[in-house]
Amino acid sequence: MTLNWIGLVAAVSAFFAIWFGHVGVRKIEAASPTIWLPTLIALVLGLIMEAGALIVGDLYVSAALGIVGITVLWDALEFTRQQNRVKHGHAPANPNNPRHARLLAENKSATIVNWLEREPVGQRQNLTGQTK
Amino acid sequence: MNLFGLGLSIATLFIIGFGFVWAIRGEYYFGYLWWPYVMGFGFLLIIASLFVSSLWGSALLGIAGASIVWGSTELKEQAVRGEIGWYPFNPKPKPQPPFVEQIKKWKAPHL
Repeated sequence: MTLNWIGLVAAVSAFFAIWFGHVGVRKIEAASPTIWLPTLIALVLGLIMEAGALIVGDLYVSAALGIVGITVLWDALEFTRQQNRVKHGHAPANPNNPRHARLLAENKSATIVNWLEREPVGQRQNLTGQTK
Repeated sequence: MNLFGLGLSIATLFIIGFGFVWAIRGEYYFGYLWWPYVMGFGFLLIIASLFVSSLWGSALLGIAGASIVWGSTELKEQAVRGEIGWYPFNPKPKPQPPFVEQIKKWKAPHL
């Protein structure tokens, strides 16, 4: 019997696209002084990939471009959502980034602490030293 | 015009969106210690996709499998989010997965 590799191509594309959407977006948002530039780049890249998925004849390439493209389009939104997480202290601020320094100064809940860097203990945990 | 990639992209949006829902709900009711079974199930779907001859069926199975493998690595952090009050915390005892003592010795993956 012959194996159908399209599922594996789709799986690998989806996994790395989701990975970048989680890890890459966080890193870029923390480093970038502006939010509009990464948003614009993701928007343009995502649209190019979706257009590529429509034009290209090869089904494997079309699948990969479609899957990665849609997550990159979503990432365009995630830059703003990530900034809001930083504002609320749900993601650590980078004090060396002027935009984050401003968020730290203007929002009481913003912090450089990563509250998620802990193990689950099976009961409610108090965030000690909530203020920065 | 090739609508395959574009169609898959729409499906991907919903599959990943559903990933957020099941990871949050699943952790709430079952706890994060089930992660190896969730991860194994995701890999099983990806392997199964190799044996599905339908183009759409195989691709969708692969995307779902990858999304489930990813979700399995999110469960531990979701447990923390509940415990520190960012998400509802379920105080009820959770069902223990088989071989729970062994699973506790492993470091739950987080990417």
